[in-house]
Amino acid sequence: MLLYGLDKSLMSAEGFAEVKECLTSPLAKFVIWGLLSALLYHLVAGVRHLIMDMGIGETLEGGKLGSKIVLVVSTILIVLLGVWIW
Amino acid sequence: MVTNVTNFSRSGLYDWMAQRVSAVILAVYVLFLLGFILCNPGLGYAEWHALFSNNAMRIFSLLTLVALSVHAWVGMWTISTDYLTPMALGKWATGVRFLFQAACGVAMFAFFAWGVQIFWGN
Repeated sequence: MLLYGLDKSLMSAEGFAEVKECLTSPLAKFVIWGLLSALLYHLVAGVRHLIMDMGIGETLEGGKLGSKIVLVVSTILIVLLGVWIW
Repeated sequence: MVTNVTNFSRSGLYDWMAQRVSAVILAVYVLFLLGFILCNPGLGYAEWHALFSNNAMRIFSLLTLVALSVHAWVGMWTISTDYLTPMALGKWATGVRFLFQAACGVAMFAFFAWGVQIFWGN
């Protein structure tokens, strides 16, 4: 959450180019990838919660299947995110 | 109860609802921003600035900031009352939990104020 504040500096910074320049460094890319990966995983797992609130997949079997789907979907999205960043 | 008095709404059901409503707002905002960046590969400062100086976007951003604060408070409260307990920490648990929650509260307020400054000040 603290690091997430970095994202916000993007808008306040007059030097948009400076931020863009900074984001070309491998370390910055890796940090952004890490932050957005955590966010994406939280988002996917949260959507699963909402689906389960609707009464879908509430059995033991459904729960196990749902958690696997979350892991697979998150992994795919995180890999795609990495491809997009680099 | 010392644990209940610090929750967001003094009602588990209301907290449950607030967490889900704020989650949907946050999800829509994140997907919108990701979509915008994906659709504008060679994004320049002018377009970026224009997006955030649009009044609708400012209102959307402020709504998201409120949702983020609510969502974070409900989440951190849940974590702290689940894990920072006398069973885990002994007799200082209440003090530790209170300090942790206070630190979270200050951080969230700071993020909120900073966010307002960014979205409405530029």
